[in-house]
Amino acid sequence: MTAGARAPATGATVLRAGVQSTVQDAGRQVRSLGVPAGGAADAPARRLANALVGNAPGAAGLEVTLGGPSLLFHEAALISLCGAPFDAALDGAPFPLWRAVPVQAGQTLAVAGTAAGLRAFLAVRGGLNAHEVFGSRATDLRAGFGGMQGRALRPGDHLTWATAPPHGARRAFIAPEIRTPLGPHHDLRVIGTRDLTGNLPAELLNRPFTVSAQADRMGARLHEAVAAPRDPARPSVPNVPGMLQLPPDGRPILLLPDAGTHGGYPTPLVVITADLPRLGQLRPGDTLTLRQVTRDAAHAAYQAQERALRQAEWVLRQ
Amino acid sequence: MPAPSGPCPPTFEWLGDAALSVHTPLARELFASLRAQPLPGVLEAVPALDLLTLLLDPPGAGEAVLAGVQTRLATLRPAPGGSGRTLVVPVTFDGADLAWCAAHAGLSGPAFVAALCAAELEVAFLGFTPGFAFLTGLPAALQMPRLDAPRERVPAGSVALGGPWAGVYPRPTPGGWRLVGRTSVNFFDLSRRAPVPWQAGDRVRFEARP
Repeated sequence: MTAGARAPATGATVLRAGVQSTVQDAGRQVRSLGVPAGGAADAPARRLANALVGNAPGAAGLEVTLGGPSLLFHEAALISLCGAPFDAALDGAPFPLWRAVPVQAGQTLAVAGTAAGLRAFLAVRGGLNAHEVFGSRATDLRAGFGGMQGRALRPGDHLTWATAPPHGARRAFIAPEIRTPLGPHHDLRVIGTRDLTGNLPAELLNRPFTVSAQADRMGARLHEAVAAPRDPARPSVPNVPGMLQLPPDGRPILLLPDAGTHGGYPTPLVVITADLPRLGQLRPGDTLTLRQVTRDAAHAAYQAQERALRQAEWVLRQ
Repeated sequence: MPAPSGPCPPTFEWLGDAALSVHTPLARELFASLRAQPLPGVLEAVPALDLLTLLLDPPGAGEAVLAGVQTRLATLRPAPGGSGRTLVVPVTFDGADLAWCAAHAGLSGPAFVAALCAAELEVAFLGFTPGFAFLTGLPAALQMPRLDAPRERVPAGSVALGGPWAGVYPRPTPGGWRLVGRTSVNFFDLSRRAPVPWQAGDRVRFEARP
């Protein structure tokens, strides 16, 4: 080390930021103030990554997107990466996903790209320290608060985490069935709203759509246009997670966690809760088909998914 | 004994598998009631005009929540008079659309500003972007059609009119309402203990400033 230069003794330095790496957690519940929910777009990935390192399910970590960051660790840590199958290396050696991995001070984790899917969640034992707003450390990029100064990581940023008692790096196996399915094709189960009228069922259901390049944490816009009803006098009403919004140009938008709280466009479909994590893995160029199911089927799918996730979390914490 | 639910009974609308919208003129009273005494299964309540959308957790809680809301609504009475608070918002009326709006209303610029400042507005609900309030109470003559194509960026502090509403953009965002002026009041300031200074039911008056 050069004389005079002092590396921080704790945390990790961001050497390369990645395409869009943000601090996320389980999000906030203040839509009534106009504040979006935020939070990791692939919630099971967040929960499993946190469980692997012994964190609470809502602990803050890094959501990495398309191309990941490089982090130089100044202190030992227990970390895990869950989600899309990013190529990652720890000091040049392959870094496994879906595992708790001990990192030593001085080591560099380099997360590269992913061939499928879009996002992964990097958990650190103890949980990342970050700006907490309305009970959440999630980064709101649009309004510029939470996380790391309300923005995505930049080179030179310094990440720190809370100290926590040691947790063993268990070699538990996470069954592929509970991981969020990745593209390139997605079948998304949806439920119609009172806006699903006229030609819209035929235009929207059981046909292929392509995810456009306009896919961010607010929403994933689809490439193909449908004939959209136009009603300029329509009132603004609350959005709910997974809504399909139909703006006047007819290109549907699937809403993600940073979507605005209210909207004035028709919203003929809502993706079921069990399939919301898939929205976080929609990658530009992926194809998808929207398939209508009943509320009962949706509830059964949610219960089965939640049961499997809770069981996995329980096993990992033992 | 269940009380009569009034002249306008509530209607319910499922949104997907994990949300329930309650359409009722008592939406604001229901929101206040759920805040004071949460209903199991309701993760979050989001108000709009005569509407309260409930996000459910777990999703299957819907039927029990619906029954609970019906019981709750039967006990609620309209609470007129809002919050009892009045906010005076200082506005410099120099917006890009001010002249257009005055002409649309058939008024001179100064007469339009005077009419807007005389309007008794009220916060109907918050939403769209952090701290953005939908202000109701515009006289019909002052209600302005939205822009055909929204502006890509509306400056922070812009005071705007759109449809039946008036509003203030707390942050630079895209926006389709007509800009009549600007205020220095920050309606989303995280350095304050209460980052959002207004709430549903507050009365609001614009005051012209040079």
